[in-house]
Amino acid sequence: MVTDEQLVEDSLAGSALAFSELVERYQERLLRYLVTRSGNRADAEDAVQDTFISAYRYLYSYNPRWAFSTWIYRIAIRNAGRQSRREVSDVTDIADDGAPDPLEECIVASERENVWLTAKRLLNQDAYAAMWLRYVEDMSIKEVARALDKTQSWTKVTLLRGRRSLSSELAESASAAAQRESYGRI
Amino acid sequence: MDEFENRLKRDAAEIRAEVSPELKSRIDASLRATEQIRPVPESRTTGMNIWWASSLTGLAAAIAIIVLINWNQPATAPVPVETVATHTVPVMPDDSAELNPPLLFKTADFASPLEEEMIRLQADIEKARESVKNDIDFTF
Repeated sequence: MVTDEQLVEDSLAGSALAFSELVERYQERLLRYLVTRSGNRADAEDAVQDTFISAYRYLYSYNPRWAFSTWIYRIAIRNAGRQSRREVSDVTDIADDGAPDPLEECIVASERENVWLTAKRLLNQDAYAAMWLRYVEDMSIKEVARALDKTQSWTKVTLLRGRRSLSSELAESASAAAQRESYGRI
Repeated sequence: MDEFENRLKRDAAEIRAEVSPELKSRIDASLRATEQIRPVPESRTTGMNIWWASSLTGLAAAIAIIVLINWNQPATAPVPVETVATHTVPVMPDDSAELNPPLLFKTADFASPLEEEMIRLQADIEKARESVKNDIDFTF
């Protein structure tokens, strides 16, 4: 199997097919992350498209010392950040009408809450991104720090806090569910 | 990998993120319309030329300022009037007079050569400043 780095080299040499292969490899992974981050499928699709355009345009600046996934996620996270800032400036008064998170529509129906919904509720965007890159994309601490443009210490502390916060929330909700079940039996 | 990490992975996989054919064609179309940026390799001679140009410009500017300042230097600088002031602080009748000796101060003598030199320099700077100001007014 051709590595991502080899495909980048081929693309820089003028192969359009090589970059198409990279798009094929990353489009679903990026879309999944961006859907959870923005909670809006249309915005996530726009962000995926912008990410590939930026990556293609500035492919020469890719440093093969880092994994391609780190670089493409870095671009995606920046694009998503810019997009959310634009949204905040466009819509100053967001009424909380109690509508469900649009992310819920993208999640397969289940009896329990998806842990990423809980994470989105509990964590800030950087911490959420760090958790995603570390536990879904299996990136190393160094790569997560690089993708988020943070220090390794920040990444370690953020992951630890995120884990702790999510674990305790999940444990609480599990015990609450167990209580409800026992009341139901009585 | 512990149970928590497994759950994070499992739940992430439950998020639907199928790429629609529309999105695929959008990406393809936008990539076809995009051109890769290729950095122009900076030649060594260009860098050297810029270095020489900036050095010579700086040197020329420094010479121009020195000439401008010296051009308008007066033949004789105004000699400052020497003033010697003496203030006598009266000794107040006080019980603590024995502890504190009577205060008698004399101001510093300003007629020293360094002071004169400073005043001359200030006058030169003022003239140079006016000259530059006139030049600027004339230019614009």
